[in-house]
Amino acid sequence: MDATQLGTTLGTLLKLAWLLPLAGFTVEIFGGFWGSRKSKAAAYLAVACIAGAFILSASALLLWGTTTGWSALESHETAHGESHGDAHHDDAHHDDAHPAAVHDEAHPAPAQAAAADKPHYPKSFSGTIYLLAEFQVAERFPALRFAIDYYVDSLTLTMFTMVTFIATCIHLFAIGYMSDELTDHHEDHEVHTSHGHFVRPGRFYRFFAFLSLFCFSMLGLVLAGNVFMVFIFWELVGVCSYFLIGFYVERKSASNAANKAFIMNRVGDFGFLIGLMILLTYFGTFQFASRVEDGVARPGLFDLLRDEHGALKISANGDTVFLNAETAPIDAAGTRETKTIPYYLLLTAGLGIFAGCIGKSAQFPLQTWLPDAMEGPTPVSALVHSATMVAAGVYLAGRFYPMFVPDVLLVIAYVGCITLFLAATIAIVATDIKKVLAYSTISQLGYMMLGIGVGGWSAGLFHLITHAFFKSLMFLASGSVIYGCHHVQEMPLMGGLRKKMPITAYTMLVGVIAIAGLAIPHTPIAFSGFYSKDAIVATAMTYAQLNRTHFLLFLMPLFGAGITAFYMFRLWFYTFAGQPRDHHVYEHAHESPRVMTVPLLVLSLLAAFCAWGGESGFLFKMLSYSEPTGVAEGVVDQFSGLNLPSHHQIHANHTQAGYYALLAAVLGAFTAYLFYGKRAFDPADVKRQLSGLHEFLAQKWWFDELYEVMFRRPAHIVARFCAAFDRVVFDGLLHWLARFAVQIAKWDRTFDEQIVDGFVNRLGQVTYSTGRAFSYLQTGSLRQYVTFIVVGVVGIWLLVQFFSM
Amino acid sequence: MSDTALLSLIIFLPTFGALALAFFNKQSDSALRTFGHAITLGTLGLTLLAWSRFDPSKGGMQMEVRIPWISAFNINYQLGLDGISMPLIVLTSFISWLSMLASSSITKQVRGYLMLFLILETGMLGVFMALDFFLFYVFWEVMLLPMYFLIGVWGGPRREYAAIKFFLYTLVGGVLMFVALLMLYFDSAASTYGKTFDILQLAAIGQGAEGAGGQFSQFVQMTAFILLFIGFAIKVPVWPFHTWLPDAHVEAPTPISMILAGVLLKMGGYGIIRIAFPICPLGAYWASHALVVLGVISIIYGAFAALAQTDFKRLVAYSSVSHMGYVLLGIAVWTLGEGSVEQNTTFWNMGLNAAMFQMLAHGVSSPGMFFMVGVIYDRVHHRDLNQFGGLMGLMPLYGGLAVGIFFAGMGLPGLCGFWGEAWSVVSTWNYSPLYAIIAASGVILTAGYILWAVQRVYLGPEYKGPHAEAITPITEREVFIGGTLLLFCIILGVFPNWMFSQMHESINLLVKNLTTAELIKQIFTAKEVTGL
Repeated sequence: MDATQLGTTLGTLLKLAWLLPLAGFTVEIFGGFWGSRKSKAAAYLAVACIAGAFILSASALLLWGTTTGWSALESHETAHGESHGDAHHDDAHHDDAHPAAVHDEAHPAPAQAAAADKPHYPKSFSGTIYLLAEFQVAERFPALRFAIDYYVDSLTLTMFTMVTFIATCIHLFAIGYMSDELTDHHEDHEVHTSHGHFVRPGRFYRFFAFLSLFCFSMLGLVLAGNVFMVFIFWELVGVCSYFLIGFYVERKSASNAANKAFIMNRVGDFGFLIGLMILLTYFGTFQFASRVEDGVARPGLFDLLRDEHGALKISANGDTVFLNAETAPIDAAGTRETKTIPYYLLLTAGLGIFAGCIGKSAQFPLQTWLPDAMEGPTPVSALVHSATMVAAGVYLAGRFYPMFVPDVLLVIAYVGCITLFLAATIAIVATDIKKVLAYSTISQLGYMMLGIGVGGWSAGLFHLITHAFFKSLMFLASGSVIYGCHHVQEMPLMGGLRKKMPITAYTMLVGVIAIAGLAIPHTPIAFSGFYSKDAIVATAMTYAQLNRTHFLLFLMPLFGAGITAFYMFRLWFYTFAGQPRDHHVYEHAHESPRVMTVPLLVLSLLAAFCAWGGESGFLFKMLSYSEPTGVAEGVVDQFSGLNLPSHHQIHANHTQAGYYALLAAVLGAFTAYLFYGKRAFDPADVKRQLSGLHEFLAQKWWFDELYEVMFRRPAHIVARFCAAFDRVVFDGLLHWLARFAVQIAKWDRTFDEQIVDGFVNRLGQVTYSTGRAFSYLQTGSLRQYVTFIVVGVVGIWLLVQFFSM
Repeated sequence: MSDTALLSLIIFLPTFGALALAFFNKQSDSALRTFGHAITLGTLGLTLLAWSRFDPSKGGMQMEVRIPWISAFNINYQLGLDGISMPLIVLTSFISWLSMLASSSITKQVRGYLMLFLILETGMLGVFMALDFFLFYVFWEVMLLPMYFLIGVWGGPRREYAAIKFFLYTLVGGVLMFVALLMLYFDSAASTYGKTFDILQLAAIGQGAEGAGGQFSQFVQMTAFILLFIGFAIKVPVWPFHTWLPDAHVEAPTPISMILAGVLLKMGGYGIIRIAFPICPLGAYWASHALVVLGVISIIYGAFAALAQTDFKRLVAYSSVSHMGYVLLGIAVWTLGEGSVEQNTTFWNMGLNAAMFQMLAHGVSSPGMFFMVGVIYDRVHHRDLNQFGGLMGLMPLYGGLAVGIFFAGMGLPGLCGFWGEAWSVVSTWNYSPLYAIIAASGVILTAGYILWAVQRVYLGPEYKGPHAEAITPITEREVFIGGTLLLFCIILGVFPNWMFSQMHESINLLVKNLTTAELIKQIFTAKEVTGL
């Protein structure tokens, strides 16, 4: 199979995997019409769709692997050599000014394939699915082209397989978890109406319909071949999240949380949009990779910005970045102009795109929506709000890594650093089992961002995948607890549950150990979280060594690792260990049915072993194969003064960093054991001692209140002002004009009636009265008439005499 | 059927229908309605026939009709279609048909209502097809009177106020347009065409095209542009000429609100693209900054005002102000290269395309929103946002349709509202980063007011307002209307190129003509806009 065929086949497989859940959605959403409320058909359909998608994704992964001979898993040096080969190939073409010479990754020249002893396969495959629009004014100017594209590399394949696999597990789990919706009269105990508890028909089918829609959107986001398409699906996962958080539409808290999630995300997307504007204006494209289609070379963003070594071309004063000349448009004279972008705009674009990531991944300062999002059913929290959608921010930061200048990476690192610390501290005091996990998710996402920000591209994404497994496991386990305890979520009411629900308890323990990063040194016995967190800490440590002023970027994750271990073990001991705290809850608690425990077991296996072998294992190799060019060598940036560590440097620190992280984790875990396992100390004492701090943390650092005062209220004030302005000023002016016109009309009437009519009437009157007066002459007396005639004749005669003199 | 007959029939079929209705028995409601429905459906069919004959690969006018009408003043009965008007004509007959279906809620003086409705449709279709400025003006005014009565007789409690407000506003706009029309007519005497009302010839003169034998002076272009722009801006409506809209919408009966939002507002945008810009390119270029500012203000101000409303219909009305702001923004982002990256007009082209698409998208989603308000108003007879709630549970299908349509209005990708909004904003960066950023912030506000409204009306445990007993499931007719609108929201949202491919060539031609217009070229070469 040659590269073109491989690309097309992979594209087709993933497209099918992507569209399958959409097909499911279109049927399931009408489940209320074609099925009874007690039917599980919608769920089975949803499971079939997502499982089908998993099979397709896994086959794509296998196909890619077997065709390329698992080149990703070859030793680092070989892979490196190959990429050098690529570079030479690029060099050869760079001399050629013709647009067709743009390196076409999807369709390599046959000569090149023959040159190697085995067929050469590019790292990524991309193509167009369909065109959205194309704007072009003249031939000589490049078109602005928008399309639904696909982009497949080993990261895409890994993400697809991970997402569909976890989604399948969660769909299965949800069949059990949502089973109380399988009724015509579902009583919602959280909602009180004037007639007591709220009763409604079950909405089992609707839940699965939204899950399917979500899977479609999420897969579309991962499949996206251009950043605009990412934005489209970015919003779509957002709206699915809105529907799922607000699944219990009757609950005010749920609809508030859904609104909050959507609007906070829109704040991030506002930044995203600004980034998109800058990119389109200066680059003229949204495409990730370069390719040739229908004989037209379409350079991608990465190739425009970076040279073949992954370096930027910056002007001597550091103000301007040159884009690659061979991709510039041809001007009227037939020559190419060099396109440039001011450095600060490239920086702004990066920050803008990252703002979108901040919103989606609930990073500081937009982190407040995620804990509230726990209003949704627990499978949703597991799928959307831990494993997949919230990780999309990290995914995009990774995918878009070549577009980030070192300053942006520094911001990413600090945002991650602040977030991981902030969320971890709040997790210490949270008592709702899902809230602890939510803060833990925020904190872990902070780790991933930090990893990417300090130049550990593979480390950050590695943590994304391992986290997806162990966090979805823990959410499902917490769901199992909630289900088993009849919707009790407060940990102070639990305790000792491991005897009642052993499978849940021990699978949860696997997750806890994985996230805490515990391991036995010098043996390969370590769960996934150890490897990925280790990779991040090692990168951060090296970064801090290279950039001494940013030492916090190392200390915070280390400190955070201790806190993580503490609050996670706290959660486990609180819930499962010791004596029951509330006997009513304990009495009625039970282990969940098999449809829920099997996914737990499967996920726990993966949470434990998915990262087996650490950085020489399968998963890490798969990811690092897609690492952008130039990351491995590190970067010494003369303008920002920031240095990004090379793989070599990181490797040197690895063992040491691993010990530090492990030490922190063990300390945290041990403290938790003392407080909540052995109950050697009473946490309530500490709480009393530090009541101010506790209050601060319990109030989530007062962010909600701050935003209320800073944004929500002012927005409503401005809104009322605008509405009032319309009423008072515009309409006031209009009404005044109208009254003025009416007034003029009135004057006009008065004038007409008094003056004009008055004159006419007066005239009439005078005429009339004159006539009247004359009428007195008409007496009928003949003698009088004769007298008048005589007087008249004499008078006329006299006048004639007078004038003729 | 010849093109002349086809286009004329599209325009006048509704009028014939109105005349025929006069012979119907006043009492036989169902016969009247069926006939009215058949006429709008027939018009839609004819429009689709015209569309099938339309060739989107040509940028210029197609199916032109030119018959002398008042020869003494060189006024012609002149019609034609291009990629800019074709989609709007289809939209007009489509929305008219659906509004006719939605008119079943009208029970008072049905015959009069239907006759006025059909005359209104003639006016609207005529405006989009007329290529003679005088004819355009006639149709523009033809549409005004039926609308006045439709609001004033069949409207809500404050109908007289709203109708008069609407009438006066539009009349003022019409008068300004008429002044400009006469000005251009007499000024065109020096051209090779002589005094003319022909929009294409006037445009050729305005652009100083070859064979036009002259160009409107800078003064004429600027003055005429201001007059024309205000005339059209009132219709769009652009801030600060927008206050007629909330009142007219709130008082108008549901189907008339649908027409008002779906079609009438588009006539403003269409007028700017078809008349103001081509005839006065210099004026347009000179005023582009002001237009962009007004567009941005409309977006933000409309969104804020919508956020503060407690009347459901008023909220939707203000959302129209906000959404039509994107249209003006997209139209106006015309730069010649100063300060921009590339000295080409691709971004303006994109903005124009986005503006046109936004008009179509808004033409589908906004009638949908008004219809959704109407559905619940017909049942409970109030529109107070704080006295709803729980409708998702009581009327699940209605709730689902409504949420879909409102999300289309919110500009969710995959639904129609997204492309116009996103691309008009994105194309603005090349014009001015500051305005682009302000306009982009509208996405947050839009999400805010739509989601808040959805929450208050559809979500929650129980209905909090009066007439709870009147809440009955949505009828099949209502599902058909709402469902059709939502379906087109989705189709336009998923396959935007369906419409872009229709408009592409005509907009390209427009951009090409305007950027190569004589005075514009001088500015471009001089690289300075002195004295403007």
